[in-house]
Amino acid sequence: MGTVITVTSGKGGVGKSTSLANIAVALADLGKKVIAIDFDIGLRNLDMILGLENRIVYDVIDVMEGNCNLSQAVIQDKHSKNLYFLPASQSKDKTILDKAKVNSLIETLRTQYDIIMLDSPAGIEGGFEHAIAFADRALIISTPDVSSVRDADRVIGIIDAKSLKAQQGEEVQKEVIINRLKPDMVERGDMLSTDDVLKILALPLIGVVPEDEKVISSTNTGQPVVRDPKALSGQAYRHIARRILGEEVEFMILKGKKSLLKRLFS
Amino acid sequence: MSMFDALFGSKKNASAAQARDRLSIMLAHERAQNSFPFMEAMRNDIIEVIRKYTTVENVHIKSEKNQNIDILEIEIVLGK
Repeated sequence: MGTVITVTSGKGGVGKSTSLANIAVALADLGKKVIAIDFDIGLRNLDMILGLENRIVYDVIDVMEGNCNLSQAVIQDKHSKNLYFLPASQSKDKTILDKAKVNSLIETLRTQYDIIMLDSPAGIEGGFEHAIAFADRALIISTPDVSSVRDADRVIGIIDAKSLKAQQGEEVQKEVIINRLKPDMVERGDMLSTDDVLKILALPLIGVVPEDEKVISSTNTGQPVVRDPKALSGQAYRHIARRILGEEVEFMILKGKKSLLKRLFS
Repeated sequence: MSMFDALFGSKKNASAAQARDRLSIMLAHERAQNSFPFMEAMRNDIIEVIRKYTTVENVHIKSEKNQNIDILEIEIVLGK
């Protein structure tokens, strides 16, 4: 039976889809059969991050509405034979999602894949609720700023209240990814540190991804940064994937680049 | 503190500490509300039930969280 992992954040623009794409690629590289599903109906994005936008014929709504078979809609990744992708519908909006249909789709996928990764839309409305309803595990992405941490906290509360697991008296395993950390600013005391965020959210950490320009350039070309062996952010994502599979990987020590002046005086 | 910091006072108005404080206060407040999402509906139901027997002016529900138990204090203000 496959595991359902939902990537969520509350606030938009903190790197949900980017993180999901990179973790999915890394998990596939580790030998797991992974399917990434874009649940951001109407605001499809995962396709471009994965570089698969030209291959889409059917989408997840088509599957749920019975317009096509599951196998017609699922797209295999160009580089990894373990990675599959199910795009969001771009023409509909998220009110079209139906809980029973989402459930039956996910139950089917559980029998075919090791890991099912759901990209939740921003916000806390319908689409988000469907993306967390059937999750076994949730990765909560937050950047180290007040709005993002606040929204993450709210989302954590909702996962506890609304997921099927919570309603059955079990708990969704929840972990935090801190994204776009700038070590320089943390050292200056001008950015919340990893410890600050964890203390506030009171959840275990599964990874810290440093701010990295390579994330933007890799999205430009549709090549997830995790495939760049030199990128620090890519390494962070590879570590997260290994931790998801239960391996103990030491956390990277992120240090700011000291200015020349500062180095002279320290 | 490094000599650089001593000379240029780079930590003098570190904003992260403020973010920490403001967030902790805000979230303590919001969490109390979020943990009882049914509060408003329940309050309306309570008013409804009391109205069957007497007049009611207002119902205040206060929530309190301890380590092991959550407490709801319900105060019913009856009309005259």
